[in-house]
Amino acid sequence: MKEPVQFMSQLTAVEYRVPEASALAQRIGSAIAESRIIGHACPECGKVYVPPRGYCPLCSVPTRDANEVDVQPRGTITTFSVITPLQYQGQEEKDDYVQATILLDGTHSTIGMQRINGVAIADVHTGMRVAAKWRPESERVLSGGAGRNLALGEAIAGWEPTGEPDAPLSEYADYIV
Amino acid sequence: MRTRDVAIVSFAQAPLDQPPGMSETTLLLPTITEALERVGLTRRDVGFTCSGSADYLTGGTFTFVQMLEAAGAWPPISESHVEMDGAWALYEAYVRLLHGDVDVALVYASGRAGLSVSLRETLALQNDPYYLVPLGADYVSLAALQAKAVLAATGRTERDLAEIVARARRDAKTSANAAVAGDFAIDELLAKDHLVAPLREHDIGPPVDGAAAAVLVAGDRARDLVERPAWIAGIDHRADPHYPGMRDLARSASSTLAGEKARVHEGGVEIAELTTVCSADELVLRDALRLGDDVAITPSGGSLVGNATMVDGLARIGAAFRHTSEGRAQRALGHASSGPCLQQNLVCVLEARA
Repeated sequence: MKEPVQFMSQLTAVEYRVPEASALAQRIGSAIAESRIIGHACPECGKVYVPPRGYCPLCSVPTRDANEVDVQPRGTITTFSVITPLQYQGQEEKDDYVQATILLDGTHSTIGMQRINGVAIADVHTGMRVAAKWRPESERVLSGGAGRNLALGEAIAGWEPTGEPDAPLSEYADYIV
Repeated sequence: MRTRDVAIVSFAQAPLDQPPGMSETTLLLPTITEALERVGLTRRDVGFTCSGSADYLTGGTFTFVQMLEAAGAWPPISESHVEMDGAWALYEAYVRLLHGDVDVALVYASGRAGLSVSLRETLALQNDPYYLVPLGADYVSLAALQAKAVLAATGRTERDLAEIVARARRDAKTSANAAVAGDFAIDELLAKDHLVAPLREHDIGPPVDGAAAAVLVAGDRARDLVERPAWIAGIDHRADPHYPGMRDLARSASSTLAGEKARVHEGGVEIAELTTVCSADELVLRDALRLGDDVAITPSGGSLVGNATMVDGLARIGAAFRHTSEGRAQRALGHASSGPCLQQNLVCVLEARA
């Protein structure tokens, strides 16, 4: 006799601790709280990484506070996506928006997942020059969490076009991922 | 078939004491540099790189890709990753060197077991999803089943287990990788409550974060680099059925087979560094590998003083390498284990040669 197929649900949860913030992560967080973006310049090749990782992935050498440089909150869109938010429970976004990858001036690594504001979606394009629009200090919620893009979005509301002419492709072609 | 001689020439392990917030990448970067610099090599000399880690431990995805930044992956390198303890990455690197076209391989492993709120719950997910995961069969409970089986089969007692723990903690007094070390009285250990009978908390190695790296070199190049290479006399890995109910838990058939293939039975092993999730594993492995009383067991302290999940097996081979290269043994064995109740076992026999 054929038995009917039965289904059971099995809920699984795995709990993790949030990693402690490193001294470097805390330093980056304090800088962002003061509307400053910092990077590390590799002592060997001179490339500037934002946010600092504490090492140069090309030279495999550590970078330290002594290698810290200030980076201007201004750069070039290298790639972008238009996001259409699905209306799942808890979704706060209603309308389409743009997330972009930006190469900050004078740096050699991109920052991803940056919100682009102040421009029609159809007009966003690679090579577009943008600058950070900082949230008022009272509206900043700095988690101090350790992540690759280190919560820039907690202090920066988004990036807006500067009106400068587009950067030539040759300036950012190596940074399109 | 062995077509080429391959040796371990260097090993480095990140000390347990680290500043807060170290990622696997930042743990690995200086460790890899140390392993290479000890024998005068740079990342550019490496012909093949293989790593072992598990994303489940951090709850991250593809974290092993970011860890490549510690290995130096530009210009592009030839590399591979196993979602296994680094000992299995070492095995792959060994096989790769047998191909004959590259001479130097880098192996590394990392793990952050400390990020799991309960490593028991996290590792429970490695079990089969139909029978064992719904039961919540965690590695400590499964280890206790194995401990019960081996005590019943051999007539040994919980006092024997406590003696193993006391020895490991005593041996680990000078170790930079021990979460617990020192002199402990057997009776005091036995006075503690069971965690899961017959095991007490001290029978289980405390989970810790870790990173380690080893350098393997083939043929004459190894002799050029170091005075006393630790030649791989034999290396093999085998697996028992995944489901513990299908096995005699008092025995480890896969360890016996891996040991035979790795030429343990030829004798001469003076020191054996064993990966043991719990103290009772040592009893199972000693029998399975037929290690006599004249073989020193895990003088590094091993997993019982700090279980760096995903790193431990490579670290045991690294400890065997140190015993060999520093002249404490002519022949030493490094053992790695993975899965519930010693399900998978890797045995690596290292020897110094005149």
